[in-house]
Amino acid sequence: MAFAWKAAGITYNRYLAVAARVVRRSLKEDKRLVAERRGEMDLRFAKWENGKQGEAKNLASANEQAMAQQAGQQQ
Amino acid sequence: MRLLIDSTRAAEEELNAREQTSSELREDAARSSHPSPNPSPLLEQAGVNMLSRAARPAFRTGAAVALRPAAASAPIVQSSNYATLREIEGRLKSIRNIEKITKTMKIVASTKLTRAQRAMNESRTYGQTSNTVFDEAETKPLEGEGKKTLLVICSSDKGLCGGIHSGLTRAVRRLMNEKPADYELVILGEKCKAQLSRGNAKDIALTFSNIGKGIPSFADAQAVADQISLLPTDYAEVKIMYNKFVNAQSYEATVIPAFSEEAIAASPNFSSFEVDEEALANLREYSLANSLYWALAEGHACEQSARRNAMDNASKNAGDMISKYQILFNRTRQAVITGELVEIITGAAASES
Repeated sequence: MAFAWKAAGITYNRYLAVAARVVRRSLKEDKRLVAERRGEMDLRFAKWENGKQGEAKNLASANEQAMAQQAGQQQ
Repeated sequence: MRLLIDSTRAAEEELNAREQTSSELREDAARSSHPSPNPSPLLEQAGVNMLSRAARPAFRTGAAVALRPAAASAPIVQSSNYATLREIEGRLKSIRNIEKITKTMKIVASTKLTRAQRAMNESRTYGQTSNTVFDEAETKPLEGEGKKTLLVICSSDKGLCGGIHSGLTRAVRRLMNEKPADYELVILGEKCKAQLSRGNAKDIALTFSNIGKGIPSFADAQAVADQISLLPTDYAEVKIMYNKFVNAQSYEATVIPAFSEEAIAASPNFSSFEVDEEALANLREYSLANSLYWALAEGHACEQSARRNAMDNASKNAGDMISKYQILFNRTRQAVITGELVEIITGAAASES
């Protein structure tokens, strides 16, 4: 059984996040505002190599880039 | 006699220069010294009060030099008393301000705590339900084979909440000492990052910040789980360390295990589930996100509760200090007033004789 999200190079979590965002956006106005707050994510992260902290990056954009790269590799 | 008068004069000058509020006393002193039957030339200098401000210090230093050999100690003690009185007042004020701040922070933490606890209870359901699968399948972590173990440490960015971050750091160090193996660390939150980067900087693989601004969302946990599953190394086991909320007073650094695909496939009761092999990767990712969400939310609730307690204690301590300093302040003030009166009376008595 092949998974559509695997074929697109995204993880299951990313697939769930995208699906959840779609559901949230299709809600009615008042409920949507409350629900969209649950989907907010503003983390930053840094990779460490040999005890040195790398550059701090925005997690959301880094995740997207990584997924895009994976998708590129699989094709 | 001249010297004595000189010294009392000088003491009065000290008083005048330092404390404007004692003007009535000063006037009393001036009045009482005037009707002396045999006024010495120095006493005429009661008019020095009317001298300009700039001229005064010169006079004071001159007088101080003149009386040093005789009764020099009196004005020096005087001046130090005055200084401490003002110091105490300043400190009292600053402690009061600190108390106000800590009280406000306590109230803020209390209101945040109720929401954080609700989120924690909800998230616990997520985490425990998703871990039921592994309980039923009796999944055990795979034994070594030189593979690394990944420790995910859930702290936060903010301090002022007692020792929960350092408690977590200590637990991590203890774990690494007890079971020496190859560990890699993924640290969520600045506080534990700062503490662990001092001793274990080599083991750190990823750090996340901006955690703890609000109640952690599932989107946070998912993004972190994604980034962890993108790590190139293949780990034997993932351990999530977080502060377990035992009750409002105590927290305990606890581990939630998250398993690799091989471990799930090798679990003894695995056959009772009819799962496709390929779905395991998804299960692993998803359960990692669930466990992370649980750990983040529970850690956040612990932090708020610890902050509330810490601020409560701080306010209490500030209250204690305020009452102590208030007593000290009153006592010192009383002593200063008594000292002034004694000087005035002796001065008056001396000038009358």
